[in-house]
Amino acid sequence: MIQIYAVGVNTFREAIRNRIFASLVMFAIAMLLLTLAVSSASLHEEVRLMKDLGLFLVSTFSVLIAIFIGVNLLYKEIERKTIYTIMPKPIHRAQFLLGKFAGLAWTMAVQVAVMGLVLALQFWLLDARFGVEMVQAVWLAYMEVVVMVAVALLFSSFSTPFLSGLLTFGVFAVGRFVDRLATLKLGDPSERTETHEQISAVIRGVAKVWPDLSLYNVTPNVVHGAPVTWSFVGSATLYGLSYAAVILLCACVVFQRRDFI
Amino acid sequence: MSAHPALTVDGLVKTFDLGFLGALPGFGWLAARLGVKGIAHRVHAVQGVTLSVEPGEIYGFLGPNGAGKTTTMKMLMGLIHPTAGTGTLLGRPLGDREARARLGFLPEHPYFYDHLKPQEFLEFYGQLFRLGARERRDRARALIDRVGLGYAADRPLRRFSKGMIQRIGIAQALINDPDLVVLDEPMSGLDPMGRKDVRDIIFELKQRGKTVFFSSHILQDVEMICDRVGMVVRGKVVSEGPLHALLDMPSHRIEIVLGDIDDAVVERLAADAPTPTRVGTQWRFAVESEAEVGAFVRDAIAAGARLVSVTPQRRSLEEVFVARAQEGDAR
Repeated sequence: MIQIYAVGVNTFREAIRNRIFASLVMFAIAMLLLTLAVSSASLHEEVRLMKDLGLFLVSTFSVLIAIFIGVNLLYKEIERKTIYTIMPKPIHRAQFLLGKFAGLAWTMAVQVAVMGLVLALQFWLLDARFGVEMVQAVWLAYMEVVVMVAVALLFSSFSTPFLSGLLTFGVFAVGRFVDRLATLKLGDPSERTETHEQISAVIRGVAKVWPDLSLYNVTPNVVHGAPVTWSFVGSATLYGLSYAAVILLCACVVFQRRDFI
Repeated sequence: MSAHPALTVDGLVKTFDLGFLGALPGFGWLAARLGVKGIAHRVHAVQGVTLSVEPGEIYGFLGPNGAGKTTTMKMLMGLIHPTAGTGTLLGRPLGDREARARLGFLPEHPYFYDHLKPQEFLEFYGQLFRLGARERRDRARALIDRVGLGYAADRPLRRFSKGMIQRIGIAQALINDPDLVVLDEPMSGLDPMGRKDVRDIIFELKQRGKTVFFSSHILQDVEMICDRVGMVVRGKVVSEGPLHALLDMPSHRIEIVLGDIDDAVVERLAADAPTPTRVGTQWRFAVESEAEVGAFVRDAIAAGARLVSVTPQRRSLEEVFVARAQEGDAR
């Protein structure tokens, strides 16, 4: 356990001392602050716009930053050969991978928390209430990030950062709409052929194993005042952690077999 | 002292399937069978390396570039999975965590986490060995001083020169006070003082009963510190044994130095011992076998020369190395 902790702390320390990461976070915060100006310009819609735009920016920037760092995480270790001095130590490859995941997940927790605080500050400036539903929305945005960190690590365990980035972004983009694919029926009901049915069944099958990231977007509920229950937040959290665990297991299997040439 | 060897390698083989499709199962094998190159091809990096290192000895692992030294070391360190063969580290199978807890390793051209300062860096590595906080701190401080980096303790590693990186690399290899230290080109990038420091560290380890297995291109260093050497050429060990045995093998050359000799005599004697060289007022000749010495010396003395010395030439490691490499290439 101490080895996972050590690798995690080192990963966290490396990320927060990285100028690119700092620049990305500063840019994200600047964009977030811009929503204050945009919201203020709207008539009687300041809070609604702030919620909508603010949550969108927190979620999107966090995922993009997670993908950017995640796909480089293992690649850098192998390319720069830092892994050459780690693997001969009494540490299992899976422990190393879990440490990298934990370190990046912790880094992203700090990043999401900072963006959440900036958002809360803007609500305070608008004299609006940063309610529990906003906290729930930010938490769920973080859980989406956790899933994407695991996916990025899986791809980076065997691929280049560019390809890993493309694949991870693909998983993210499809994952946001996978709830619609899960009930997909191609073709007009009156003209539906067997081919339509077969393709629809394949897509529905893929959608069942694809990460359902639509769970983590509760912005419509927050904006329209529909409640988000704690049981929903709990089950979405459990789903995200379980999904990340399975993905990490796959990453460990791939990483275990890899030669560090 | 331990009953089992510190390190054994038995028929270690590594074949890489490279190329665009090489990584796909079976494609490398198929390409090799069909003689196809480009999209998939096989490289036999290590072809059955076998050697053994006894506890407490300094073992030099030599070979020309691309001979398979680093690949062999990577297999020992668990960085690469062997295609075939086995090995042991400190009496335990490769990959065993208990053995790795007593192992130190420095890779060739190391690169480390450059956001860390030396103390942070070594303490991080100490954590991987489950060392306690105080032990980590004390060992890190002592090692920073031992490798002569005390003056740079406050600098992040990104500001280190190549030589400083090599030194901190040696420090990380020793953070767990290992019984077996594996060093891949430890002298690389070091100035003469740095090389001497590394030699001193290796000697110090030997004095403390540790085993050192290292590769180097700097044969002078190998000759100075090794008990035994193994030479690998094209993925195979072509020579292995105690250094003195390799160097004391019967030499073909015997050096004869003559004085009081004029140019005409030199020219005549050069027919039996080609390419004489002038050293001050004396001439140095070399004959290829002991049988030739008597006749050569008799002729020289009869021609009025003064015999200064007759010295059988001890082969240098470089000569042995070049000869073995050429033999390996010729196979």
